[in-house]
Amino acid sequence: MDTGFTRRQIIGGSARLGLALAVGVPLLQACGDDSKSSSGKVTESIKDGLKPEAGPLRVFDYDSYINPDVISSFEDKYGVKVEVTTFTSDDEAISKLASGAVDVDLHHSAATNSLFKLVDSGLIMPLNKTYLTNIGNVAAPLRDPYYDKGGTYTVPYTIFGTGIGFRADRVDPAGVNWETLWNPAYKGSASVLDDYREGLSMAMLRKGLTDVNTTDPAVIKKAGEDLSELTNLMNIKVEIEGYHTIPEGATTVAHTWSGDMLTALQYLPEGTTSDVLGYWQPEPAVINNDCMCVMTKAKNPVLAHLFIDHLIDKDNALTNFTFVGYQPAIEGIDSQYLIDQNLVPENLRTSVMTNDQIAKGYRFLQLSTDVEALWQDAWSKFTAGG
Amino acid sequence: MSRNRPGQPARGLALVTWLYVLWSLLPVLIAIRISFNSGKSRSTFQSPSWRWYFTDPLQSVWHDDSLRQPLRNSLKLAALTMLITVPIGVAMAIGLQRWRGKLSKASNGLMLFPLVTPEIVMGVALFLVFTQVYTSVPRGFTTQLLGHITFSISYVVVIVRGRLAAIGPQYEEAARDLGANRMQAMRLVLLPLLGPAIFASLMVVFAGSIDDFVISSFLSTGASSETVPMKIYSSGRATATPALNALATIMLVFTLAAVGLAALVMRRMRMRQGGGDDVQLGNMAAVG
Amino acid sequence: MANAAGAAPGGHRNAFWGFLSLPGVAWLAALFVVPFYAVAAVAFGKIDPILRTADPVWNPAQWDFSAMNRVIDRVLDPNDLGKTFLRTFAYVGGALALCCLIGYPVAYYVARHAGPKRGLFLALLVLPFWISYLMRMLAWVNLLQPDGYVNRIIGWLHLPGEHNWLNGDWPAVVLGLTYGYIPFFILPLYAALERLDKRLIEAGRDLGASPSRVFRHVTLPLSVPGLLAASVITVLPMFGDYYTNGFLTSGSPRTEMIGNQIEFYLRGTSQPQTGASLVLILSAMLLVLMAYYLVVTVRAQRAVAT
Repeated sequence: MDTGFTRRQIIGGSARLGLALAVGVPLLQACGDDSKSSSGKVTESIKDGLKPEAGPLRVFDYDSYINPDVISSFEDKYGVKVEVTTFTSDDEAISKLASGAVDVDLHHSAATNSLFKLVDSGLIMPLNKTYLTNIGNVAAPLRDPYYDKGGTYTVPYTIFGTGIGFRADRVDPAGVNWETLWNPAYKGSASVLDDYREGLSMAMLRKGLTDVNTTDPAVIKKAGEDLSELTNLMNIKVEIEGYHTIPEGATTVAHTWSGDMLTALQYLPEGTTSDVLGYWQPEPAVINNDCMCVMTKAKNPVLAHLFIDHLIDKDNALTNFTFVGYQPAIEGIDSQYLIDQNLVPENLRTSVMTNDQIAKGYRFLQLSTDVEALWQDAWSKFTAGG
Repeated sequence: MSRNRPGQPARGLALVTWLYVLWSLLPVLIAIRISFNSGKSRSTFQSPSWRWYFTDPLQSVWHDDSLRQPLRNSLKLAALTMLITVPIGVAMAIGLQRWRGKLSKASNGLMLFPLVTPEIVMGVALFLVFTQVYTSVPRGFTTQLLGHITFSISYVVVIVRGRLAAIGPQYEEAARDLGANRMQAMRLVLLPLLGPAIFASLMVVFAGSIDDFVISSFLSTGASSETVPMKIYSSGRATATPALNALATIMLVFTLAAVGLAALVMRRMRMRQGGGDDVQLGNMAAVG
Repeated sequence: MANAAGAAPGGHRNAFWGFLSLPGVAWLAALFVVPFYAVAAVAFGKIDPILRTADPVWNPAQWDFSAMNRVIDRVLDPNDLGKTFLRTFAYVGGALALCCLIGYPVAYYVARHAGPKRGLFLALLVLPFWISYLMRMLAWVNLLQPDGYVNRIIGWLHLPGEHNWLNGDWPAVVLGLTYGYIPFFILPLYAALERLDKRLIEAGRDLGASPSRVFRHVTLPLSVPGLLAASVITVLPMFGDYYTNGFLTSGSPRTEMIGNQIEFYLRGTSQPQTGASLVLILSAMLLVLMAYYLVVTVRAQRAVAT
């Protein structure tokens, strides 16, 4: 039966395809994207003394990472609107900024170990400190950080460590460590952070390997295999929702960030007290901070600067803290202060850090492309259920 | 006409069918009922209220911009997709039906391809093409619109061609015999005859666009280009309230209203022309 | 085949119809063909050294197949992506089996036994198409909560154990896929069954065969083309699904499908070539199915036109 695809048509079709390629390829090469920012670092900021723009200020951020009251007070102060576009992981954020998939003024939560990508590609501009009147409030260890000499491009937002959040009413707080995540007693209610650096480094730290930036393929591979044990042993979930699944009870043990358990205070169901929450962090722990930075192509750069300034005001930072639960990178706001202010319950003292802990923590550094691929592939193998 | 054999097999099958219909629709009805909860529970019924629709001052769909904006975006996207896709598709359907030759066969094959391509493949392809090739196209709404049109064209062509085949060429030929030229014959005779199919296409494209998740998601740039399915996906497992159910219900109401309207118009058209229910439902089945 | 418009191929009239098709064809060429080529160009391309985003290579002569080779190695490794592919096939197969089991009786009933109620049933069968897929999944998330109605009914019926349904097990995913895609299965199957030549079935009965023999030896074999077509149209989108399991099981490695891996590599990593390669591999695997469906459809179109 004639299906219409004769040999002659196939050969003719291939010839035409070849012709199309010969013509189309140069055309596509010509149209291709030239605007990719391999143009290099931006070294000049905006001029002094400019007036704030009309807005709206577009902020790029994790979900629910700024107190709506703090946003409202900024909106009222300058008579502008603030729009928040969200992402769920740092890699997603960089992907979207680099490809131009999002168009924002302020990147509110850049990770330190990928900051070089934003700087070297010219995506962010240096800050003009004349707009940042509160810059002196920044916590001492982070005023001249290793990832951004002189604090040229960024201002830290929050500081956090990585540890284990858990239900204190189901797990003995005294015995919690990384092994708790491998304890089959909690099968079906355990989770690991959906982040390949955090997940793999956690497996490494569990085995006493402290180089969280390792380039050793064997170590990376082993870390992935250790994580894979969790798949069937624990029916492990891979998510960043610990901040609400723990208080809601769906998760008992979660690989989380320190601030998550404080955020969790707001997600406690009626009738549940804060005693059910617990947090453990090793000493030293992986420490990280978010950075705020202004996009080079921002349409509202002055507003972006002013917003940063607004957030590092000590009162605003405290107000933010009550909502976000992550420790602000503000000098003087540490665990003792927050406990004294009754903002942190005693059983969650470990969720907030001292300057000393911050200084001693392990930091994620940038990895070369090949090494990054090793980490990503090991993580992919774990999440693929392998 | 089928011979109805009442008896065990038919009754057993009837039971299975009714159970299926229940299984298919009941969860959605429950979800709609939950949207009317007065409290925050998303799993059990609470006393009915409009809270999540408009009375809650912070979190109801009416007041929460993070819920209203996806609704606006979805409706805008669906409306524009519908208006642009249907003319292109109708023209293509008429053209392909009558066109002879190898190019026509190739174009036909090209038209059928999107129907069998998994969405993730199309989503990835469109994402890459807009970030690497057509980089001057404004990202977000515009690219989503272009993506929606792309996968919708084939639906229109298939539906309209089905109707074209049933109509046959004799009406146009009669018009041409009476002195009309080709354009007039098409405009005054063929297009009205195609009325029901065109309306069916509008419905299908509207519903397809409103329901699209993968393509919208890959081509979105943030809050301003979030659609309702994307919102449901991102909030559904997190800390959502019944407001999310309310949002989904509102979308459903819009869709059903559009479908209902189109069905009414189609019925009026068909009554004037004479044609069976089965033709249209056959079109739906052919598209699926 | 009647030469309807009385046109000889290549004549003015023919060109007219060609021009009518032009907008659609041009659109699809620009936004369907070119994007596919872009996927290949990214898969076999490079990455920007600083941003580590895709840097596609358009000239096939310059294509770099190393990323694709690495991916193929991983796909062939049963402890790595091979497992994910197998799992995806298993889920899709399971969901398809359920669709056939549930869908065939329903389609058969509505096509052949519904009588005067056929219109009503058709409306009910078409209704899910107008309900957003994610809303239907959301409905199940509501029902499968630990304190949701499914667990309540299980408790009320005193069946063993309250289950945490949304916890990352395959039943939730397979059932979710079935629930989501079965309308796409039933409707084409209904259309095919409705078109079955009833005379053949009546002939079987007239020859004295029992209803079950008639079904097994006449009806079922006649339904096979319809079943195949419905299966293909249902199964193709399922293979690329990544949101059903993402929604119902929230990131569990035990239920990871190939779509999730594609999303991971393209959205969150510095290896878009891997993601694009996975898309090409998936498409290649599905090509057989896609080609089958295309050939069948073209034949059907031709049959209708004659």
